[in-house]
Amino acid sequence: MMPASAGEALLSVEHVTKRYGKVIALDDVNFTITDGITGILGENGAGKSTIIKILLGLVKPTSGSAKILGQVASDSVLVRTRVGYMPEHDCLPSEVSAAEFLTHMAECSGLPPDAARTRAADTLRHAGLFEERYRAIGGYSTGMKQRVKLCQALVHDPAFVFLDEPTAGLDPAGREEMLTLIRKTHREFGISVLFSSHLMADVERTCDRIIVLRGGTVVHSGEVSHFMKETQTVFIEVDTNRDRLLAALQARGVAVTQEAGGLTVEGGDESVYDLVRDALVDSEAPLRRIGPRRHELTELFQRDAT
Amino acid sequence: MTGTVFDIGYQRYTGTREGRARSRSAVFKDGFRTALGLGRGGRAKILPWLFLAALSAIGLIMALVAGAANMFGGEGTAEKMNLPTHSDFNGIASVVMFVFAAVVGPDLLCRDKRDRVINLYLVRPLTGTDYIVSRWAAFLLVMTVAAVLPQVILFLGLCMSNLAPLKYLQTHWTDIPKFVAAGAAMALYTTTISMLTASFTSRRAYASVFLVGLFVISAPFVFGLSQELEGAAGQWLSMFSLTNIPVHVNDVIFGKVSEMTEGAPAHTLPHWILVSWYFGWVIVPGLILWARYRRLTP
Repeated sequence: MMPASAGEALLSVEHVTKRYGKVIALDDVNFTITDGITGILGENGAGKSTIIKILLGLVKPTSGSAKILGQVASDSVLVRTRVGYMPEHDCLPSEVSAAEFLTHMAECSGLPPDAARTRAADTLRHAGLFEERYRAIGGYSTGMKQRVKLCQALVHDPAFVFLDEPTAGLDPAGREEMLTLIRKTHREFGISVLFSSHLMADVERTCDRIIVLRGGTVVHSGEVSHFMKETQTVFIEVDTNRDRLLAALQARGVAVTQEAGGLTVEGGDESVYDLVRDALVDSEAPLRRIGPRRHELTELFQRDAT
Repeated sequence: MTGTVFDIGYQRYTGTREGRARSRSAVFKDGFRTALGLGRGGRAKILPWLFLAALSAIGLIMALVAGAANMFGGEGTAEKMNLPTHSDFNGIASVVMFVFAAVVGPDLLCRDKRDRVINLYLVRPLTGTDYIVSRWAAFLLVMTVAAVLPQVILFLGLCMSNLAPLKYLQTHWTDIPKFVAAGAAMALYTTTISMLTASFTSRRAYASVFLVGLFVISAPFVFGLSQELEGAAGQWLSMFSLTNIPVHVNDVIFGKVSEMTEGAPAHTLPHWILVSWYFGWVIVPGLILWARYRRLTP
């Protein structure tokens, strides 16, 4: 089984519905995922974990079909030799060394013992844990444990990897390291990623595409760049005299709104910038920042919630 | 001499992928190593090796006593004195075997549940059935070794202490398949009961305490009650002494009632009932165990 070529669907979910008794966890969900890093966003109970479990073959959908690498995982467990999964919760034995644990996980994915040992050492080297590989995992920091979890998902060189909240519980430095590793997983290792998270900033900075789930249905999907494109507004941030600047802009007939941290001016053409410049001079407001505003992914949720 | 280290970057794996057979054998191998504490700290090795040493010591002491009797009293003295031999070993060592299974067995399942490593197994090319069968088989092997190794020591001891070892081997070779079968019966029973109990908890201590209580308390309780209820009722009730169930099979295999079971009224029941009862206690718990893990994967 070879990895799909660029543009070919690695995952396809067609009309998937999952019911637990009267509760509808997923309702006619459809999407396809090609090569790259895809973020799956949603609040608790939105259906993120359910769709991942269905794709891994751990849960059968009530109706519809979910295929990974062209196969239904619950029909053929062998497809899991080419799939990796990093769970959100703790799942590491404390008394075993990282090298031994990864070797075992690689063998469990079907690699012969010698290859498993080599792959374990290589994967730990790429994750920056080579020097610590013979220490018991119980003595690792949270960031190191998180990297071991990622390593166990990559040790058998999958074509596709599911990462469930990979930055959960990490400090800013650890989070940055983890995001760098995730980008490296696709860009250097050539492994496609489905990345579930609550953290918009992580998804904005890491993913190529997003799928937004709400109440078991897909409410948005597409390229991250599409959702973050420039708006026809200018954001202005000043150190002082914000009220005077607001009055000066309104006096010039500019449509302006106050927001936390600054002012937003409607329109993005040159004439607006000229009016803003004049207003800044008149109000004697020291300018800190000015620039076109971009959409943020958080707006997707705010928009849906209202 | 100087060298240069080149970072050749990430290399895709292009070798063979051996599928489910490799996955199953990896879980089996890991279960065997876990049961014996291999690849873990010193503390993890203490209990399993202590039990193995205790069981071997029983076999060794029996061999030394029989050997000394033969050496000082002449050939055949041990048999004339009716000293304990292969048919008695499982009865004598059963308490140690049960405690071994109770203390070590649950570690194979409880640890995976407590650390949630089981979730990582189930996203690999393994089903719930593959996982539990591999773990069960790993512990069965450990228990079989624990049951048969002391018998091998005893056999070798009796053979070596005999003035004509080859003659002893010729006349007593049939003991070998008998003690292997009796050991396997003991291992099968203790492994299955121990694994089933472990499947209900993520805490090894809970499973161990429950099992020790079950094995140790059931025997005197049932014995006392069966003595009170004389006749057929007492006979049938004594079958519920959990420690005696595999020892009755041991008696059937050797064709001789061992010291442990001669006081149990059930020993007079027909052999087919004793053997069926034993298989009931292996098959039913085995099926429940399988069903509990089978439902983990659709």
